[in-house]
Parts: sequence; C-alpha cells; structure tokens
Amino acid sequence: MYMKKASMLIVMVACLFLISGGQVFGVPESFEGEGLAPETNESVYFRGWQYRTHIVNDNVNRYNTELNGNVDYATITGDYPSIMETQFIAKAPLDILYGNPSQACRYYDGGWILPAESLPNIEKIKADMYPHIRDAWTYKGKLLGLSYFVTTRGVLHVNLQKLSEAGLAEAELPATWDDLYDQLYRIRDKGIKYPFLPHWFAEWYGISWAFFFETLNRGGRVADPETHKPLVTVDGPAGDTLRAWKKVWNDGLIPEEVLSYLEPDFLEAWGSGEYVYSPQQMYDFKKFNEPRYSRFAGYCSPVPYRGQSWGLIDSAVYLMSNRPRGKDHTRDVMAFASWYGYRDHEGELFVGQRWIEDSMLFTAYKEIMENPDVQAMMKKFFARPQDYETALEVYANTPYPKGVFNVVWAPEFNSWIKETLQKFLMEDKPVDETINAIGDKINELNSLYGVS
Amino acid sequence: MRFRQKVRELSTFQFALLLTLPVFIFLIAVIIYPLGYAVWASFHRIIFFGGYRTSFVGFENYSAVLKSPAFWHSLRVSLRFTAESVVLTLLIGLGIALALARSFPGKGVIRSLAILPWAFSRYGVGITFKYLWRGHAGLPTALAYLFGMETRVSVLNHQTVIEGLAIGNAWNLAPLVAFFLLANMETIPSRLYDLAEIDHLGPFGKFFYVTLPYLRYTLFVFTVIVAVLSLKVFDYIFVQTGGGPGVASATLTYQIYKESFQHLNLGYGAAMSFYLLGVILAIAFTLYGVWGRKEL
Repeated sequence: MYMKKASMLIVMVACLFLISGGQVFGVPESFEGEGLAPETNESVYFRGWQYRTHIVNDNVNRYNTELNGNVDYATITGDYPSIMETQFIAKAPLDILYGNPSQACRYYDGGWILPAESLPNIEKIKADMYPHIRDAWTYKGKLLGLSYFVTTRGVLHVNLQKLSEAGLAEAELPATWDDLYDQLYRIRDKGIKYPFLPHWFAEWYGISWAFFFETLNRGGRVADPETHKPLVTVDGPAGDTLRAWKKVWNDGLIPEEVLSYLEPDFLEAWGSGEYVYSPQQMYDFKKFNEPRYSRFAGYCSPVPYRGQSWGLIDSAVYLMSNRPRGKDHTRDVMAFASWYGYRDHEGELFVGQRWIEDSMLFTAYKEIMENPDVQAMMKKFFARPQDYETALEVYANTPYPKGVFNVVWAPEFNSWIKETLQKFLMEDKPVDETINAIGDKINELNSLYGVS
Repeated sequence: MRFRQKVRELSTFQFALLLTLPVFIFLIAVIIYPLGYAVWASFHRIIFFGGYRTSFVGFENYSAVLKSPAFWHSLRVSLRFTAESVVLTLLIGLGIALALARSFPGKGVIRSLAILPWAFSRYGVGITFKYLWRGHAGLPTALAYLFGMETRVSVLNHQTVIEGLAIGNAWNLAPLVAFFLLANMETIPSRLYDLAEIDHLGPFGKFFYVTLPYLRYTLFVFTVIVAVLSLKVFDYIFVQTGGGPGVASATLTYQIYKESFQHLNLGYGAAMSFYLLGVILAIAFTLYGVWGRKEL
C-alpha cells in the first residue's frame, strides 16, 4: 500500500517537474523552443546604436510575431556611450542594449547591467563560443553579454588600382607599420599626394584605438591586462608609434581634415578611391567592394599577415540592464536576450547567422564561423577569393587590448587620449611628454577609480 | 447654487493665481528644479561607480575649473566663435534686409525663401556645413578645381575651423535678423528719403544718415541675442567638428558636455556651466551698459 502511494507520489512529482520545466525546485528552465516566449505582457525595451536598423527591426518583428513577444526596439542617435549612461542614471526604461566590452565593464561597475552569467542556459552558450572571445567579454569573472559581432578594426586595406598607379606590385605590400610608413614616401614621389588615410578620426574609437592597435601590433601594450598599470614607454612600441606618426604628419603625408572626421566621413573618404592604404574594419571589405559605396569596388584587398598583426579585436555584445523589474518580467528579458544573442526557438543561431550573411559581422559562435556554407558565402564579399584566406589569417592573429578595454575607466580614457593625440600632432608636442602624459593619466584613473 | 457662491468667493488675485498656477508648476519643473540640482551638483563630488555616493566639496569644483587650462582654452574658443558669429550674422542679416527692402519682381517668393535657413535645426545646419567644408568633396575644393587648381581645400583645419563654424552659424541666424530689420525699415517714413534726395545724398549717405539710425536698437537687441545663442550652442558644433580637430573647436559648451556626460564628472561640469552663465550675463550687461542704454 505504502509502496503504491510512494510510486504515485513519485510519478506526480515527475509530471509536475516536467510541466513546470524544472522551475518548481529552483532548477533553471532551459531557454529553448517555446520556452523563449514571454510570460508577461510587459514590454522589453531594446536599444542600440544606428547600424542596419532595418535588419534589427526585422529580427525583433520575427520574435514578436512568432513568439507573441513585446519587444520595443528603438535606436539611439548621437554619442551612444554617454547617452546610455545617462539613461541608466535616469532609470529610463531599458532592458537590452548594445555595448562594446569597455562600455560593458563600466556599466557593470555602475551596477547597471545584469551579466549574461545569470542566464539559465549560460553554460551551453559559453561552450559554443571561442574561448578567447569569451575571455575578452569576461570581467571580474563574469561573462557580461552575448555575441553581437567580432571583427578586426585596423586591418590594413589596400586599393589595388592606386597601388598599381604608383608602380608597386603586390609583392611589395608592407609587412609592418614601419614598412608602410617608408613606402608612403615612394608613393608620394609617384604623384599621389596623400597615399595613406590613417585611423585618426575624431570619434572616441578613432585616433585612440589607432594608437592602441599600432602599439599592440608593434609588440607592445598600453596597459597591463590584469592590473591595468601603464606599460607605455618612450623607447618602446608606444614611443615608436608616436615617432612614426609625427614624421609622416610633419612631412605632409596626411590630410589634416581626417582629425575632424566622424566615422561616416572616414568611410566615405576611403571609398573615394584617392588613397592607397587605410586601416579599416574587416567587415567593410564587403562595403568597399560594392560600387555604390566605393569608387574602387573590386580592388579593395587586405594587406596580409607576415609576422606582424594588424589592428585590434573590436566587438560588441548584447547586454541586459539591471533595472528594477518583476521576476517574470526579468525572465522575459532574459528569454529575449537568449533568443536574440544566442539561439532562436528553432534552435538556430538566427541573428548571428544573419549578421554574417548580411554584413560580414563575425561572431563568437564556432558553429557559424566554421560552417562551410558561411565560409563559401563570405568569399564573395572580397575582391578575390584568396583575399578571404588572407583576411582570416589577419583576424586569427589580431590582438585584444584587454588592459585598456576591460576596465571601468576605458570610455573616459578613450575620450582623453583622442584629444591628447590630436594635440600631439597639431601642436607638435614631444613624444616623451605625450607618452609620459599617457602613463600619468592611466595612473590617475586607476587611483580615481580604485583600480589596482 | 452652492457652486455659484463658491465662484463669487474667489478674489481677483486668487483667480489670477489660479490661472498662473499651471505655468508656475511648469516653470518649477523645467527651470527651477534643474537649476537647483545644478547648484547642488556644483558643490558636490558625485560618484556612480562602486556604489552611488556624493560628498560635499564646497568650492572645490569652481576652483578646479579655474585651474584647468582646458577651461581657459575653451573660453577663448567660445569668445572667438561668438565674436565672429555676431559680426557675420549682423552683416549678412543687414545685407539681406537691404536687398529685400527694394522692389523687384517675385519679391514675396524671394522673401519667403530667404527665411528658410532659419527654419533649419542646428543639428541639420551642422551636418550640412560639415559636408560643405570638408576637403575631399566640399565646396571650396570644388571651386578650386573649377578654377584649375588641383588642390583640396578643407575649412575644417585647426586654423580656420572657427571661421567655418561661424559662417554656418551666421547662415542659420541671419534670416531672423534680416526679417526684424526689414520690419524695422518698413517703419522709416519715406519723406526722410525724399529729403535725403533733396540734400543730394547718395546710396551710402541715405544708408548711414537715414536707414541706420532707425535700425540701431534692433541691431543692439540682435547683437545680444546672437551672442547668447552662439555662446550656448552645442549640437551644431558637436555634429560638425566634435570639438576638433584636436581641441581647436572645443567651446565651453562642448567642454561642459565632455566633463558632465562623457566623464560623468557632474559636479565639475555644473561648476563650469555656472562660469558659462557668468560669461553670458557679463556680455549681455556690458553690451547694455556700453550700447543699449544709449538707444533707449
């Protein structure tokens, strides 16, 4: 009798467990299939910067239509990092947002975001990511967000038409930054006044990141990845970078107006076909090989990796805000974050796959990057099939500046160093003074924010 | 019946108070509260990271601003931009007004078109002039090529960026000045021009001795208005140059924005904004004392 009752009880408990998706005993539900649908009627506010917004809208509409979702998507125009900080401070309705790793770290220290670590399916998500990318998005032991994109910013693009006009063969493509700067003089002698469009534009990620990536590419670091103490020295790669900049700037090889460009101006200037070389985004090979964006479409190729890396890993994640919400509402936010930043209700890496197909935005997920169909399709984005292999090799060797990205003061430092480097060029400031000022600023910020 | 009695009990003063109450509440919400918060912030250090906390620092923020070379640089940039904007706006406005005061076919249409730049948002003007001024595809470069000079001319370099900004600002503000001056010109009695004709005054003589005296008060008012608007402008400069190249166009408003919203140093930014308010008031009162009082 007792055995019968006990068996019935076990069966009932098992049924209850299955129906509830494991929630009864505090076991996290598996965010899969219909489990990704919302459970409340509350809106989930999704905000991001302006990039291919019609694609985002379309993705959100799919979630809202197929899973009866309540996602409210809008874009933020203007100075995105600052606007988002003020939104957090003002406790604006905001649930999911874009962020670079540096913004994510700052938002996390402000107590404004919920790390991706809190998602019930986080272990599966992490297992599907490349470890080095996962590490780049991990701060204070927690994975902060889900994959939006990963790319190389600062991969050296070459305009093959202009290169040929300058009488140079592809075998002469530079292997290092110093090779590049030396070659600029030869190109100018062939009648091209401005052979190089540097990544010195006036965004917080313009000239600042140009300095970061060139220092990294030369084998140095701006700050220690763990302690964030400054590592720039006058005689080291940072000093070499500034000396090289000063020389080409003072010799009139760079158009001054690049210092007042915003990113769209910078892209348009490179698309004009006037320059031979420019450090750009990896995903923009697609853009610059399309005639509507580029006057040298079909001739924009990557400069290969020959022992020295080019650029830095630039990436963005989907973040969840930590604003006060009901438990079920927070669950809905997490469900949408998982649907959008990982797998949809059909188990596909839908959004990530779409970004790579549409815009060549790489992702942290191995399944997409290693898919032969995706690889075959990406080859079409380049001027020539062999450029795809060249670009992948550059990407595989791209460093990540953890010391200046994964720290609370990163956005403030980006803004400060932008002005400092532009002043260094325009006011012809000494290299040692500027390098020392950079070191002092990092020390000041470490002290101000209590970073050790 | 009872309701009627209650209405009768309201005095004129009470009724007036009732009518102004919504406006009063609105003013508190949009002016007094933010102003009060800014005063409070300027005396505090506000920290958002590692837990939100504030501490009273007295005049520390105010003194730090005065010690900052960036503040003095931005003050110089703001004053240069403002002075150039005022001169250009008034000259262009006066020129438009004089041109539109004449009789010519299609006068009504041209007058309507002339006001259009004033209808542009500051953001829109910033974007427009950014495209016009840049070197690789801008207007000066196009003109240079037209005249056979194969050279790129960028106005947005550190030497001329303020002038480029001031021209765009004047383009946006001048139509407003022009229309007020035009309205003012319509009030000048025509017999004064007849008398000037009898005295054999030429066009310049008529302008200096007949037209200009009537416009002086309007010109004073717009000198103050344009100066204040130019000192306060932010979005126009932010979208056009982002304070650059380097810090060549970093005005005080840009500096306040950077400190307050990029560095989240709200106390310091608030203190700097009160210095900007002081500069605006000082310029307005100086102009009134030196020029305005004579015109009244």
